[in-house]
Amino acid sequence: MADLTQRLFGTQWQSPVLLASGTCGYGEEYAELIPLDEIGGIVTKAVSLEPRSGNPPHRVSETPGGMINAIGLQNVGLAAFIREKLPWLRDNLVRARVLINVVGHTEDEFEAVVAGLDGEDGFLGFEINVSCPNVKDGTLFGTDPAGLAGLVATLRRATARPLVVKLTPNVPDIGLYARICEENGADGLSTINTFPGMLIDVGKRRPVIGNVSGGVSGPAILPMGVYLTWRARQSSSLPILGIGGIRSSDDALQYILAGASLVQIGTALFVDPEVAVAVHRGVEAYCTESETPLRELVGGVQIPDRD
Amino acid sequence: MNAPIRDWAEVREIRRAADETWWVELDSPAIAGRARPGQFVMVGLGVEQVAAPFLPRPFSVGLAGPDRTVGLLLREFGAGTRRLARLRDGDRVLLLGPLGQAFSVSSDRPVVCIAGGVGLAPFLFLAAEQRKLGRQVRLLYGERTADRVFSSELIEELTGVAPIIYTEDGSAGHQGLVLAGIRPEEEPALLACGPTPMLQAVARLAIEHGLPLQVSVEEHMGCGIGTCQGCVVRSASGEWIKSCTEGPVFDARELSWPT
Repeated sequence: MADLTQRLFGTQWQSPVLLASGTCGYGEEYAELIPLDEIGGIVTKAVSLEPRSGNPPHRVSETPGGMINAIGLQNVGLAAFIREKLPWLRDNLVRARVLINVVGHTEDEFEAVVAGLDGEDGFLGFEINVSCPNVKDGTLFGTDPAGLAGLVATLRRATARPLVVKLTPNVPDIGLYARICEENGADGLSTINTFPGMLIDVGKRRPVIGNVSGGVSGPAILPMGVYLTWRARQSSSLPILGIGGIRSSDDALQYILAGASLVQIGTALFVDPEVAVAVHRGVEAYCTESETPLRELVGGVQIPDRD
Repeated sequence: MNAPIRDWAEVREIRRAADETWWVELDSPAIAGRARPGQFVMVGLGVEQVAAPFLPRPFSVGLAGPDRTVGLLLREFGAGTRRLARLRDGDRVLLLGPLGQAFSVSSDRPVVCIAGGVGLAPFLFLAAEQRKLGRQVRLLYGERTADRVFSSELIEELTGVAPIIYTEDGSAGHQGLVLAGIRPEEEPALLACGPTPMLQAVARLAIEHGLPLQVSVEEHMGCGIGTCQGCVVRSASGEWIKSCTEGPVFDARELSWPT
């Protein structure tokens, strides 16, 4: 029998498969379609201190092999999240782990959200979103080494819970940012957020996306995500949640072999909600056939000597 | 909560209904048994392939009948819909549905359905249902030109209702906009689905004459079930609200209409 369990972030994980932030709401919407408590867990839609109204439409569109989105972090805000969304997660997810994706305009706002949630029940830890390409200051912290260091250090003081930082691919060397997170007390990394992109309607000669630009996700970005996961792994010993374009167990295993302990599925959920369980089962079958526990596959890619 | 159903459905029939326009019947008893006029389904091809349509596309349920099929009106707009139009009998598509809010039909006013283009789809279903209940609906249906007009024989075959057709150039039916067919003096309940300029014009007329109006809106969609917040429209109070779960059918007075 395959062993998919891992001990990470101070807790036991039954599966490496999570649902990615922004694609699974606050869990409840998928409850009837996906046996959430049988997978690794979910990362919630971003939570900000105040409610955010988001960007004008179109907010999503298909791109070759994927999609572009610029939702603009529309969310109910911290107080309503605690009141209306967190109880469901607390009551319904027992074995699956919950990370709350947190966003802010400023270090103070990030800190207020983390501090405001810290004493609540129903979740394991935080995924800090310094990498949203669709709001004005969304990648401010994710592309500024000093800003990122300060933010992570501040949040480390604000909570003892697991602190995972979701990195942007839009930097020359992701390893630098991985190291900064580790040095300032983060517990893990999510690699990667979407790539900034643009789609033009040539008939109208206008951008398709209301926000003009958006973040590109889906199968098209799989190789970039795998590469950046591998790069982050070279620079840091923090556990990594691999994300970007996963729609099969083969895709997930590429991330795992590149260095991810856990993976997140996003865009593919829109195509088929059952993909999460299918990926879990496929990874299980791979571990069974290779008679290897999952944890021994992490970072197991064999790089040939190049001379 | 009525959970949506995920179902790999076989194409039972695909018939040409007008230029680049097809009538597709899918074998999905579970969804057909639950769908109400105005609701929609997401139609995709699964995660194995990445060519368009990679993301599922929302389609109004065009009929969900006693024969237990889901009927869709498919028009070729881009690469994704062109690919779907090449489906053949026996091919399978991945459905998620039924989704969203249905029309609610008034019994104390004459019901007038105003359809523009593929906005016809939900009214095929609605007209057929109303006819079964012994109620009359007037179905006003506009297209730009005759070659785009969904076969009126097929409409009658599917619904038992004869549409009143308008084309902008007069090449079929009445010449002019579908709006011309609304008779405010009969104090109808209006239901509309079609391009945004048409919905705006109908909304202005409904507000001017104090007539009830429900509209079915269309926006690009990601998930179809309320998680991604991709498909928003502006509410009367200025909020972005989701067309997938709060719509696609709205009371026109809940939405913001540019003046």
